[in-house]
Amino acid sequence: MDPRKNKICQKPQEKDCQQTKPNGRREFLKGAARVAAFGGAAMLAGCGGGMLGSKEELSLRWKEYFKKHYRLMTPEEKDATVQRLEQLAKIKNNVNIQMSSAPPIEGVLFGYAFNVTRCEGYMECVAACVKENNLDRKSNMQYIRIFEMEHGQMTPEVGNAKFYHQVPVEDHFYMGVQCNHCQNAPCVAACPTKATWQEPDGIVVVDYDWCIGCRYCIAACPYYGRRFNWNDPVVPKDEMTKKQHYLGNRMRGRGQMEKCTFCVQRSRAGRLPACVEACPTGARVFGNLLDPDSEIRFVLKHKKVFRWKEDLATDPKFWYFVD
Amino acid sequence: MKTPIFKNCFWGVLPVLLLIFAAGLVYSAKGGVVQIYKNATAPFDDEKQVDAALSLPIPSVLVTERYQGGRFRTETRKDKMQRFSCSQCHNNKPVRVAQAAEIAHGEIVLNHGSEARPLSCYTCHKKDERDFLVTEEGTKIDMDHSYQMCGQCHFRQKKDWVGGAHGKRISYWTGERVVKNCTGCHDPHSPRFKKRWPVIYSPPLSKSK
Repeated sequence: MDPRKNKICQKPQEKDCQQTKPNGRREFLKGAARVAAFGGAAMLAGCGGGMLGSKEELSLRWKEYFKKHYRLMTPEEKDATVQRLEQLAKIKNNVNIQMSSAPPIEGVLFGYAFNVTRCEGYMECVAACVKENNLDRKSNMQYIRIFEMEHGQMTPEVGNAKFYHQVPVEDHFYMGVQCNHCQNAPCVAACPTKATWQEPDGIVVVDYDWCIGCRYCIAACPYYGRRFNWNDPVVPKDEMTKKQHYLGNRMRGRGQMEKCTFCVQRSRAGRLPACVEACPTGARVFGNLLDPDSEIRFVLKHKKVFRWKEDLATDPKFWYFVD
Repeated sequence: MKTPIFKNCFWGVLPVLLLIFAAGLVYSAKGGVVQIYKNATAPFDDEKQVDAALSLPIPSVLVTERYQGGRFRTETRKDKMQRFSCSQCHNNKPVRVAQAAEIAHGEIVLNHGSEARPLSCYTCHKKDERDFLVTEEGTKIDMDHSYQMCGQCHFRQKKDWVGGAHGKRISYWTGERVVKNCTGCHDPHSPRFKKRWPVIYSPPLSKSK
């Protein structure tokens, strides 16, 4: 138990105890009521964390609790909440993070292409994703799944995602599955609190603080693209990615949904997502769909592309192609 | 007699045509993301839009080919080679070196080409031109532009590499395009990727699967 909590709770109690002795029942009740009120206030203020921190942390948490939905915030309010989250991370975990709330770049619609012929199943992308996005190490959460499939198999649903042997295996191909960032996303339609939406640059994001953890979106997603935090994520302090984004890889809490965000903290700064950068075979292509000179447009124009479950009319921005 | 019939037909058909045209317009607007990117034909001015420092610290050279967006660059090779230039040793003069056996390319395993017709050292390297690669036609090729050498046989891969479907872009999706050279990913002497263990494994998604 926090020693500070003890002090605050017990102080009035001791005082009242001294007074109650000579004055009897009425004073005792008064004191008891006062203690109860104090305890109640402490409980309220500490809700979520369960521990009562310093006064600064308390006020930061109070303001965080009553902040608006991300899309309703003004740029100043976004800056303020980002600052608060940075301070809270410093107080709670003693890590110096740099969080941003960078808006989408104008004239950009992100698209992704995955070369089914080139992927060899080395899983470098998965490891890079886990590290970049501060995924829970305890429950082994991963956004990307690589399916080992036999020639002729048409959908990852019949593939093997649990392989652990030397790769690549002859007569097999590998198909990576992650959030497809659908233009007509069923998860967005399913969310009862509008905690998930599509940004103007095409990235489907989650406002973690507005997620109530109902998991309707998991049920709605045909691509198994969403992950749920059954417990508070555990990330070792020295392994944490310090450059964070409000909608991206900032620390989530228990009962919140999370998903691939095309590494929004990277892609909005002009960088490639961690999986693309880590891929040792160059099977992953990322770029701006609205730029006719981009690599992704070349792939869409000149290669044989397909989208997974296109018949569901979810309109994904994630293509697969073969050489 | 002819004109009224034509006129009647015309006024009957016109609304139908208009309806089809309007439906077409609506459909093309609702064509989803494919229609959205097909409608985008204006080049993207990344210098204006992305205010990040987009200069790569790696040394690169301008590729002689052009892709759809103009010129692009590839990473250099010569400065990464341990004992360049080759003519330091290969110069028809006697050379005195310690551990000669170790540095005389004993580590190179040549596994390139089909089993029936494997490549030899002299397919790419020539006795008289030690510092350059030489194509079948006899053109000298700088080591930094090895893609020209590889592209002789792997022209399909080279076409994809120039466009962006093969190979790997370095660090940024915007700004000046810098890609890995062929030798950045493939060992030119045994270009196929090695069999190895995956770096991480996937936990089962659910008990049933």
